[in-house]
Amino acid sequence: MITALRWLVFAIAAFAMNFPILVTLSTSFKSARELSTNPGLWVQSPTLDNYLAVFQVSDRLNIFLYLFNSLSVALIGTVLAVALALPAAYAIARGRLGERTLLPLIVNLRAVPLIIFAIPLYMMFQWLALLDTRLGLGLILTIVNLPLALVILVNAIRDLPSELDEAALMDGASRTQILFRVIAPVCRPAIVTSLIFGFITAWNEFLFGLMLTTSKAVPITVGASFFFAASGGGVQWGVASAVMIVGALPPVLLGLIMYRQISGSMTAGAVKG
Amino acid sequence: MTKAQQRPLVQEFRLLATPVVLFLLVFLGFPAIVNLIYSVSDVSFETLRQPELSGFKNFVAVWSDSAFWQASWFSFRFGLLTAVLECGLGLFLAIFLSPLIERRSWLMAILMLPLMVAPALVGLMYRLVLHEFVGPVPYYLWTYFGASLSFLGPGSSFWTLVVVETLQWTPFALLLFYMAYQAIPSEIAEASAMDGAKSHHRLWYIELPLMLPTIVVALLIRFIDGFRVFDNVYVLTGSGPGGSTASLSIYIYEAFFKQGAIGKAVAASVILFVVSFAVLYGLNFIASRRKGAIR
Repeated sequence: MITALRWLVFAIAAFAMNFPILVTLSTSFKSARELSTNPGLWVQSPTLDNYLAVFQVSDRLNIFLYLFNSLSVALIGTVLAVALALPAAYAIARGRLGERTLLPLIVNLRAVPLIIFAIPLYMMFQWLALLDTRLGLGLILTIVNLPLALVILVNAIRDLPSELDEAALMDGASRTQILFRVIAPVCRPAIVTSLIFGFITAWNEFLFGLMLTTSKAVPITVGASFFFAASGGGVQWGVASAVMIVGALPPVLLGLIMYRQISGSMTAGAVKG
Repeated sequence: MTKAQQRPLVQEFRLLATPVVLFLLVFLGFPAIVNLIYSVSDVSFETLRQPELSGFKNFVAVWSDSAFWQASWFSFRFGLLTAVLECGLGLFLAIFLSPLIERRSWLMAILMLPLMVAPALVGLMYRLVLHEFVGPVPYYLWTYFGASLSFLGPGSSFWTLVVVETLQWTPFALLLFYMAYQAIPSEIAEASAMDGAKSHHRLWYIELPLMLPTIVVALLIRFIDGFRVFDNVYVLTGSGPGGSTASLSIYIYEAFFKQGAIGKAVAASVILFVVSFAVLYGLNFIASRRKGAIR
């Protein structure tokens, strides 16, 4: 009896929380004619026309470019963040360097409204000709990803026995050698977790994409909204839905495959951060 | 190890931390200085490179701008309400559903799905969901109740946004609480059952107090994220109707990009900057003092 009630609550919660995704998925398979007569969840005669329309490149809309931009900026923002965080995490965890200054400063960044840096960064990017470039947006996403990557990596290195370092020191290895030959291989799960988490965060970022790009480097989160303004005759909801599904798919798939790692890192970032 | 050997090691650690420090100086230190200078300058898009010092005029302009206070109040109320709702719902679901999830962890994957979707896309999705002609929610309301609401009109738009944010981020709280609940040693449940404690007593006197630190952290994180909300609100309502749903992030964005009021936008950024760092360092300070007291 109580188990049935639990299943009922689960079903309601899962349905309510995933409702916008379900609606969008169902609308993306509706023909333009069905859309005007059937706003319900059930699709009567499913069609792939909307997806075909989405992948049609016009001079105003180019979904391949938006997806490629999102992929590039997410990769830059993720790899660079981990590359910067790993040596720093080692210095913090083992050298006890900046434990009371650098670490809290970066961790607090997770909680600061990033809009406060947005305007000077916009001006700076104008001077450096980084506006509307994938590199520019990637650099900003590095800032966004840095706090969690650092927390995950510091915790991972702290959990390693220090005998590992000492044995290598005895053999005459330098700290840099130890980091790359001993620590990094052992920390691979933590590194992979920060890469996945960073990729999802960066792919889903919107504010800086909106501010710092206009045409060449537009990411999918911003590009998707272009489809809402497309064509004179109001929003084509079927096509708009297909765009949203395509744009949401990469992080959702990655998240579903790796959700165990992600749930672990969310808790780590929250509780220890 | 002798001191002479330790010396180069410290230097090597410094070297390892240098890249991240340089990166932060360029991408956060420099912007922070620009913020401070421009906030006390007279500046427009034409005179971007030659700001003229003008004292605290920009701060006065922000301080006396009713839209700034409206946005602050929106952000605060939105952050507080969504944090409490998300954590309340998440706590209930985590504890009530844990017997199901323990055995089938894929259930958690379904519940976590909304966390993987960009908030901007979720906001756009609700434009469809709530649309008066093609949206299923008004459609089903008309079909079964013969009436519908104007979800994004004045009066209701705030609550619509609260529901949108809560439904997307309750899974985050749910996940944290589920992990904390699972981390409670099973001996505690067994021991209290031996002592004849009822299960709701065990929940109230033992399990919830053990989960309290996680609950506080989750409330804090969700408050901060709700306070600085931008993406879903921006794509769903812009800031309307009539600026009633402008968060502080949207206020700053619009002051800069729509009105070109650079000085005002930067001054508002500086205020937000000072307040958030003061609050964060205060919290860190309290947290470290409490840790010290326990030791």
